[in-house]
Amino acid sequence: MQPLSRAVEVFLLLQSLSVVSCTFSDPDSGPSAGAGAGPAGGDRFKIEGRAIVSGVKSQEWVSSARVLVEGGEYVGFLRTDGSFAVHDVPSGSYVVEVISPSYRFEPARVDITSKGKMRARLVNYIKTSEVLRQPYPLQLRSSGPHTYFMKRETWGWTDFLMNPMVMMMVLPLLIIVLLPKVVNTNDPEMRKEMEQSMNMLNPNPELPDVSEFMTKLFSKGSSKTGGGSKGSRNAALKRR
Amino acid sequence: MAGLCSVFSVCLCLLGFSAAVFEDQVGKFDWRQQFVGKVQFALFDTHSQASKKLLVATEKNIFASLNSRTGDLFWRHVDKTGPDGHINTLMMHGQDAVVVVGNGRLLRSWETTVGGLNWETVLDTGSFQSAAYIGVQDVVRYVAVLKKSAISLHYLSSGHQKWVENLPESDTVQYQTVYSGGNGQVFVLGVVPNSHIVIVEYNIEDGEIMKQKSVAAPWLSSLQSSCVMVGSGVLLCADPTTKSLYTFPLQSADQTTMTPILLESLGVEVAAGFQPVLISTQPHPARPPLSEFFLQLGPDYHILLQLKDGLVSTLRDFNPSYLVAFATTGEKTVAAVMSPKNETVSSLYCTVINLYSADTGRRLLDTTIIYSMDPNGGKPAKLYIHTFLKKDDSVGYRVLVQTEDLVLTFLQQPGRVVWSREEALADVVTMEMVDLPLTGTQAELEGEFGKKADGLLPMVLKRLSSQFILLQAWMSHLWKLFYDARKPRSHVKNEVTFETLSRDEFNLQKMMVMVTASGKLFGIDSKSGTVLWKQYLENIQPNSVFKLMVQRTTAHFPHPPQCTLLVKDKVGLGSLYVFNPIFGKKSHISVPALPRPILQSLLLPLMDQDYSKVLLLIDDQYKVTAFPSTKNVLQQLQEMASSIFFYLVDSSQGRLSGFRLRKDLSTELIWEVVIPTEVQKIVGVKGKRANEHVHSQGRVMGDRSVLYKYLNPNLLAVVTESTDSHQERSFVGIFLIDGVTGRIVHEAVQRKARRPVHFVHSENWVVYVYWNTKSRRNEFSVLELFEGMELYNSTVFSSLDRPRPPQVLQQSYIFPSPISTLEATLTEKGITSRHLLVGLPSGAIVSLPKMFLDPRRPEVASDQSREENLIPYSPEMPIRTEWFINYNQTVSRVRGIYTAPSGLESTCLVVAYGLDIYQTRVYPSKQFDVLKDDYDYVLISSVLLGLFFATMISKRLAEVKLLNRAWR
Repeated sequence: MQPLSRAVEVFLLLQSLSVVSCTFSDPDSGPSAGAGAGPAGGDRFKIEGRAIVSGVKSQEWVSSARVLVEGGEYVGFLRTDGSFAVHDVPSGSYVVEVISPSYRFEPARVDITSKGKMRARLVNYIKTSEVLRQPYPLQLRSSGPHTYFMKRETWGWTDFLMNPMVMMMVLPLLIIVLLPKVVNTNDPEMRKEMEQSMNMLNPNPELPDVSEFMTKLFSKGSSKTGGGSKGSRNAALKRR
Repeated sequence: MAGLCSVFSVCLCLLGFSAAVFEDQVGKFDWRQQFVGKVQFALFDTHSQASKKLLVATEKNIFASLNSRTGDLFWRHVDKTGPDGHINTLMMHGQDAVVVVGNGRLLRSWETTVGGLNWETVLDTGSFQSAAYIGVQDVVRYVAVLKKSAISLHYLSSGHQKWVENLPESDTVQYQTVYSGGNGQVFVLGVVPNSHIVIVEYNIEDGEIMKQKSVAAPWLSSLQSSCVMVGSGVLLCADPTTKSLYTFPLQSADQTTMTPILLESLGVEVAAGFQPVLISTQPHPARPPLSEFFLQLGPDYHILLQLKDGLVSTLRDFNPSYLVAFATTGEKTVAAVMSPKNETVSSLYCTVINLYSADTGRRLLDTTIIYSMDPNGGKPAKLYIHTFLKKDDSVGYRVLVQTEDLVLTFLQQPGRVVWSREEALADVVTMEMVDLPLTGTQAELEGEFGKKADGLLPMVLKRLSSQFILLQAWMSHLWKLFYDARKPRSHVKNEVTFETLSRDEFNLQKMMVMVTASGKLFGIDSKSGTVLWKQYLENIQPNSVFKLMVQRTTAHFPHPPQCTLLVKDKVGLGSLYVFNPIFGKKSHISVPALPRPILQSLLLPLMDQDYSKVLLLIDDQYKVTAFPSTKNVLQQLQEMASSIFFYLVDSSQGRLSGFRLRKDLSTELIWEVVIPTEVQKIVGVKGKRANEHVHSQGRVMGDRSVLYKYLNPNLLAVVTESTDSHQERSFVGIFLIDGVTGRIVHEAVQRKARRPVHFVHSENWVVYVYWNTKSRRNEFSVLELFEGMELYNSTVFSSLDRPRPPQVLQQSYIFPSPISTLEATLTEKGITSRHLLVGLPSGAIVSLPKMFLDPRRPEVASDQSREENLIPYSPEMPIRTEWFINYNQTVSRVRGIYTAPSGLESTCLVVAYGLDIYQTRVYPSKQFDVLKDDYDYVLISSVLLGLFFATMISKRLAEVKLLNRAWR
């Protein structure tokens, strides 16, 4: 974007005219659901049902809940016992959902014929014509509270120990400590065998070994400290 | 192995795009404020003395219960917008509130403690006139609803209809009032304008018409505006032309004319051209109203009168007085009067409210509340009184005042504000976020780098002195921390004031400048949500269009930051309001007069010598006005004129046109695109945001080649909709037009689709949502534009020199929910991956990773697509509640989402506004640039300490071992 900002044109794209933004906010006047929707002045029907949260008193959640038909085109409120009715709905097919910030409800699709016959079915957005009947008047049972939050990763000893990095560190350590005890390095035969295997690993003895090079490089730098520790050791000896 | 690894990484990614909140982060950096809007009806629960409920019904179709001690919401019910959800009246009886909704379509009874419905009844069609409780023998049993041509009576306990009767001669008579004195009759009053009043009396039991009479009143046009019921069934009307009051007892058998009472006989005069207003009170619906009433004779003049035995007598004269109200507690009724503090000087800024006994007009002692008005606010408009009986049986009271700028203030004696609510914020139209200014020390430090070198020694000294200042600031900060730690936690809540207002180290705290539909401007601290300044612009017409622009940011110290608000009324006539966004003060810069309607405004990146960006305003004669228009600016404009382009949209004629600026600030038409209005109409036009950065020029493919993005900064996305709304023939069209040349870069049509359409245009993609009429579902569609495998001119983008059209990829997905609004996240440098913020009608805001909306999602996953972390295509988009950035803090009626970058690349500031305001931060790619707030300092330091001690101990052990070996 930065090189582009040096563009030849200084052209600004700004909020368009008021007319345009107005058209967006126009209230939707047409009937909602296309196919079966009757004329605007046609019969109006009522969608009824009941929302149930098992184990919770209805007083605790009905005040924050609403019933939205087709995302708020028609709105209903819950009675103190959890039942609801949405009035003045023309014929058509609608998704009815109970909205609550604390409890989760599955939506249902309600079809109303132009004669006022109702049926409820499961919402399926992919196979829209599939009919899995549900009872009508609607019985919307909550499937529990919403889970909004992620679990924090908690720290435990097992997690720490089973970490691959830790495993990679601990296992070689064990080998370093235990192997000399198991294998007798003073045995000349064994030493020969090991040297041979080392030569196998290093096919070209002429090539400078990187690790050797590094140790040389650093041992130069750290020779002073090495001397210091030697000195202190001597001092300790003297003190003895 | 490599394949397995990449599968693993894809899985990690899928887990990783959690914009989720952790439970311990609740309220840490987010806040929500809930509003109700302009109050139409407010009732205090007087059922019991200890009750704290205040019920309000507002113009936003909201019925809510507020806590009168704190001003918080107990509950709130948001009905649908428009006239169908409009609340016509609110009445309260005991624990239940009766509400008539939707021009008399629904009658609802609410249980006010729980906030649930008792019952709900559908009424017959017909325009609503009035409603009243009907009591029989001191008990309220029924509620009567008067429509234009019918009256119905309903049981208060169940809502069932007792009877419904058609009104006689309803085509000529306008029935307007229903009245019951509690003695078994229902009176319906109607008027034939400028002729006579019709009084019909119904029997409560069966709805039979008992009596019907008409009274001549040739001067009367409306009962509601000039008549009230006073005393035991006396109709009282005021007539401004003859300057008299008329009385008529409804129950009288023989009287056929109204008795006039000349106002002159009371010794008062009506202000010229003022329609006198009568205010009476009926404390108990089952009993007749009181015989005392207020008569308003002028805008600031009320008198308290009494009607006794057909005679009107003055109890008290209140001149001047702004607002009056009656209130009843127990058996006592009082009148509250708001008047200026000093009776001689009518200063509006300090007023007092006094309580008077309603039956005598005597002032009650020690009942004064001083109400001081905000000088930047509006006048008081409504007064509501909450009265209660004190222990010594005297009347105590609190006052709720609503002002013209929609502030609700609740006061108690002697003038202490218990709480106040800024209800104008329920209708935020547009907003901007402005960086806070640097503090003095920060500015000092910054200044050091900007200046030219003075030489070595002064530089060192300056460096040292600034370091010393920093040290000082740090010490004082530590001292403050220490000092606060000793205080109890509740007191520490540090108040945000202008003095403490400064930019934090990551620029996370900003000033939110909000413009509301009522014309009130707010400056809100984004961290706490405190309103730091407010400014009420008077004379703003309703339905004006606002556009807020930041002309100068805070970066140009010592020049103050500067915001410009362009207000356009219905005709398009504009006016400019220039202010400082940090302090809210109006700037003294002279603004150009705008005599002609403004079509378009654009903020150029050009700056004048004061570092304020140049604003161009194009009027309906295509003349350009520049602001500021100094010589320097005009010169710059002349130089740049040939490369300044702008576009105009005329959606009524379906015309998009592009213009170029000429040197003399006139314009020339360059291109024109006409979208025939018979077939389709323009729904929206969006360009890209000016402050958007795109970090990477291309996308690395699975085979390590690069697919370059088509990043045209001048690209416009135009969305159209078919005029034919039949479900088989309706469609939604999208055009991508180059704003400089007018070339249509791409066009696409979505068949069997219709409104609502929402779209976002950013980087090299456009995402739009529409309603699929065939499958009855919402669908997302994404268009992405690519240049191809090589870039045409990688240094500079020019619309005029772009021979090859871009490659366009498109994919669509099902979204299992309706959508209220759509916005994309924005970060400082554009490195962080993008998320779409989707506002749902349920009030949730979903943070949807853009990764799901990628047209390159393959149908079958291959090795290459895995390498690219492409998710295999699936038609339905998931919505997970973990992606709700506002968890249970729902934002009702989301109208817009504003996103702003912060100083941290990972963090995007989000403000969702609608009925509520919600501010939070989102981390689309998690917090990669700061330590997370769950960072385990204890573990790290304990490990470090442990290692330290381990080395110490092992060193010692090694020494001992060496020593032992030496002795061996």
